[in-house]
Amino acid sequence: MSVRTTHLDAEVRAAMPALGAAAKKGLGDPALAEPVQIRASQLNQCAYCLDMHLPIARGQDVPERRLDLLSAWEEAGDAYTERERAALALTEALTVPTGGTGPAASGGRFVPDDVYRAAAEHFDGIRLAHLIALITAVNGWNRLMVTRRIPPGSTEW
Amino acid sequence: MTTNGTDPAPTAAAAPHPGGTAYHPEHTPRLEWAKLAPEVYRAMARLDAAARKGLDPVLLELVKIRASQLNHCAFCLDMHTKDALAAGESAERIIQLSAWEESRHFYTPKELAALELTEAVTVLTEGFVPDGVYENAAKHFEEQELAQLIAAITVINAWNRFGVACRAVPGHYRPGQHA
Repeated sequence: MSVRTTHLDAEVRAAMPALGAAAKKGLGDPALAEPVQIRASQLNQCAYCLDMHLPIARGQDVPERRLDLLSAWEEAGDAYTERERAALALTEALTVPTGGTGPAASGGRFVPDDVYRAAAEHFDGIRLAHLIALITAVNGWNRLMVTRRIPPGSTEW
Repeated sequence: MTTNGTDPAPTAAAAPHPGGTAYHPEHTPRLEWAKLAPEVYRAMARLDAAARKGLDPVLLELVKIRASQLNHCAFCLDMHTKDALAAGESAERIIQLSAWEESRHFYTPKELAALELTEAVTVLTEGFVPDGVYENAAKHFEEQELAQLIAAITVINAWNRFGVACRAVPGHYRPGQHA
């Protein structure tokens, strides 16, 4: 399996990190940002992004158990707070808006009212707007990396 | 993403219902994300401008409409169908877009390759972008233009997510409003 292309416009390369940085700054919760980005990358099956975000999460002392159970967070009992669960449910709904046969129980066509309401209970308007932006940004990275088949760990992308 | 403040129309529909009955009332957006996250909005505008460079605008609107159909973004459908029509696109090609696989003779081989790639990149959770889809796109687009197409598909997917998450209200867009 080899890379398909490493072409990417210089301005796109600059604007993507600007989007992610603005989202993370406004969310103001690095320990939450990593699990959100990892869960989206799992759903989109982006090896490059998983390889990148898991070590960052470990470096930020996100508990190992919280990373291990991420793909089954809905059944993971008390491993996650209600706030984290609300963010993960929003992540799944917003990653699978096509209504496909994807694995996300909370995904599938639009963002359901109960998913949105739960997120709005735990995040004020500004933080919620930035959480939505963060989920959107990682979905963007996932698309750029998977489509161009950038191998995990590659320094040329 | 905001509605036109000077035009508080009771409904966004352009014309009265042909049967004379009232439409369902218009909803309000969940969240005014662009106002709450202005730096994010600026990054999105910058990204959008970067990704469209060098792409045929006719092809770009078809790509944006198809991705918005798949992601069910009403706001983006309102915007991009209106922009496409204003730019001279035919109603037939817009109407046939959600069934393009069975109406291939409405589109050029290059447009078909772009639509196929759009679907694969948009429905990423179904499993990667198949080799056949990528290879066909690479046949019709040289490498740099293909990279722009991939970026453009990524960017409309991003706008779709904001529109869907925040339940942006369709119907108020006027062509060229954001030009």
